[in-house]
Amino acid sequence: MACIELVDLSKAFGTVVAVKNLSLAIEDGEFVVLVGPSGCGKTTTLRMIAGFEDPTAGEVRIDGRVVNDLEPRDRGLGMVFQTHALFPHKTVKQNIEFGLRMKRIPAPERAQRVRQVADLVGISHLLDKMPNQCSGGESQRVALARTLVTNPSTFLLDEPLSNLDAKLRRELRAECDRLHQTLKRTFIYVTHDQEEAMTLADRIVVMRSGEIVQIGSPMEIYSNPVNYFVADFFGSPSMNLIAGEIVHENDAVRFRSPCFELALPEHFKTATSGATTLGIRPEHVRVSLGGNGEIELPVRLVEPLGRDTLLYFDAGVARAFIAISAGLDMAEVKIGARMALSLDRRRLCLFAADGGRIGGPRRAGTA
Amino acid sequence: MMRKSQRRRMSAIVRYLVLTVWAVIAFFPIYWMISTSFKVDTQWFAWPPVYFPHPLTLSNYLNVWFGAEEYAATQYAISSQKPLISLLNSTIIATASTFLSVLFGSLMAYGVSRYRILSEARMFQLLMLRMIPPIVVVAPLSLYYSALGLLDSMTGLILIYFLTTLPYAVWMTKSFIDEVPREIEQAAEILGATRWRTIFEIVLPLIRSGLVATFLFILILTWSEYLLALIITKTQVTTLPIELSKYQGTTEGRVYGRQAALSVGITIPLIIVGLMIRKHLARGFSFGMVRR
Repeated sequence: MACIELVDLSKAFGTVVAVKNLSLAIEDGEFVVLVGPSGCGKTTTLRMIAGFEDPTAGEVRIDGRVVNDLEPRDRGLGMVFQTHALFPHKTVKQNIEFGLRMKRIPAPERAQRVRQVADLVGISHLLDKMPNQCSGGESQRVALARTLVTNPSTFLLDEPLSNLDAKLRRELRAECDRLHQTLKRTFIYVTHDQEEAMTLADRIVVMRSGEIVQIGSPMEIYSNPVNYFVADFFGSPSMNLIAGEIVHENDAVRFRSPCFELALPEHFKTATSGATTLGIRPEHVRVSLGGNGEIELPVRLVEPLGRDTLLYFDAGVARAFIAISAGLDMAEVKIGARMALSLDRRRLCLFAADGGRIGGPRRAGTA
Repeated sequence: MMRKSQRRRMSAIVRYLVLTVWAVIAFFPIYWMISTSFKVDTQWFAWPPVYFPHPLTLSNYLNVWFGAEEYAATQYAISSQKPLISLLNSTIIATASTFLSVLFGSLMAYGVSRYRILSEARMFQLLMLRMIPPIVVVAPLSLYYSALGLLDSMTGLILIYFLTTLPYAVWMTKSFIDEVPREIEQAAEILGATRWRTIFEIVLPLIRSGLVATFLFILILTWSEYLLALIITKTQVTTLPIELSKYQGTTEGRVYGRQAALSVGITIPLIIVGLMIRKHLARGFSFGMVRR
C-alpha cells in the first residue's frame, strides 16, 4: 500500500525540459492514468517515480518518505514496460521467478507463488516456454505476472498495451481493471490513448509539454475540459470545434462563424467579444430529418456503425462537423442533403484564442 | 547474339571458374602443409614436386611432438619433447589472456555503453593504441619486465597479451551491449537485481554469441603472436610460433617435414575451437544478433 506524492518535480535533458514543476498526490489504491501526446513528459514522470531518472528538481515521496536517492530496487514498486522487457534467455517460469530469487525467497515458496500468479493471469500453460514462443498478448501477461509476483506496493505501467492489436488491447485493459480491483493496489498507468484512460482511470492526469493541464475523473475531463487541448484530445469521435467569434447584439450574445450563427446561453453574457472556438460533442448535436434546427449544414459523409450512425457535415472548414444519431434511421441520408441540427446549449463550450475555456468548467451534469 | 538463358549459364560458368581458381590458391598452402607433414625427407625438396606423398610416414609427427628418434629418417631432431610443452604454454597463455581480455573488455564496454565513461574520442584513442607498432614498445617493455621479474614467465606474456588485446575486446563487445535494450536491464533492476547481478545474469548471457565471436578473434591473435613472445620469453616459456621458427635454423637448413607436422598441430586447436562454437560465430559476426 502506498501513497505517492510528486512535489515540484522537474526534469531537463540538457536544454530540453521534459517535466516542469509537476505536483501530484496519488492516493493509496487509486488508479491514476497519465495521458497526453508523445513527448508530453508522462513517461519521464513515471520513470522518475520508478527511479530510472533523477529529477533535476523536486521530490518524489512514497508514503511521506523522500525517495530521490533510493535505487529503483529499494522503492518497493513494480513496473511493466511498453516492450514487455522479458528476459529472452530465460523461460517464462524463470522470468516470473526472477524477482523472488533476487529477494532470496526459498525455492519451494517461489514455485508456489509462481504457480499462483500464473493462474491469476492465465498463463499456467506457458511456464516452460521461452519468451519468443509467446504471442504479444501472452508476453504482456508474463510481464504482468513477473511484476505481480513480487507483490509491489504500486504498479507502474508504461504504455503496456500499445504494442498489441485492438482486440487484445480491449481484453488486457479489462484484465488490468480486474487486477486493480482484486489487488487494491496503487496503479499509475501511462498512455497516449484517451480511450484507455477513460475506461481505466479513477483519476486522469492530462499532460502537455511537461505540465499538468487537467486532473479529474474521466467524466469531469470529458464533460468539462479546461481548455481546447483537453477538449480536442478526449472523445472518439472528438469534439466538434468551430472557429468563429463572439458578438454582442442588443443585450444578447451570439456565436458567429462563416457558415452558421447561433444564440449563446445566458451564462456567456459576460464573455468579451472577439475570436473564439465553439465546442460541442457529437452526441450533443440533434439531427432531425426535415425538422427545425438552429443551424443547417450539408452532409459530407454518412457512416452507419450499426448501433449508431455518424453524420459528417460540411462546416466550411477542413474538419467535418460530426453528429451521432442513434440506430440506422439516418443511414440512407443522401450526401449533399442539407439537414437541420440543434445543439444542446447546456453542453456548449467556448474557448478563447489562447485555448483557455471561456466561462470556466462547470460541474458535470449541471445546466 | 546469345540468348538470355545461355548468357546466364555462361556467367555462372565464369563465376564458378573464378571461385574455383581462388579456392585452389587459398587452400593449396594448407594442402601442401598437410601433405608435406606426411612426406619422407627425400620428398621435401624433390623436383618435380611430390603432390601425393608415397609412402606416407608419421615420422615427422612422432619426431616433432614426441621426440622419438627411432622414427627419424634423418638426424634433424632439433628439440626433443619441447613442442608438447610449448603447446601447453600456448594453450594456457592464449586462453588466460583472452579470457581476461574479454571479461574486462566487456565490463569496460558496459561502462562505455551505459555510463559513457569514455567519450567517442577516447574510444578511438583506445583503438589507436593498437596502431603503435609493437616493435616500438618492445625494448622499453622488456626493461620494465626485467625489473619486475616478468621476463620469460607465463604471467608476463599473459599480462601483455591481455593489455594489447583489450582495445579490441572493448570495441567488439560494446557493439553487442549497445543492442541490449535498456528496458530489459531496468526490468531486472526494479525486480531487485543489483548492477553486478544484472550484468552477469542478464546482459552478458544475452550477448553470449558476441562474446564467443570476440573470444575467438582474440584467441587467434594471441595464439599466433610472435614478436612479443620472441623478445619477452627466452628459454623457460616458449610458445608454438617461437617453436616453429626453430625449424629453419642456419646449420640444419629447413626441415620442412617437421615444420609442417608442427604447423598442423598449431592449426588444429583453432579449427576445433571454431567448429565447437560455429553456431555462436555465425550469429556473433552478423551484428544485430540480440533478439527482443
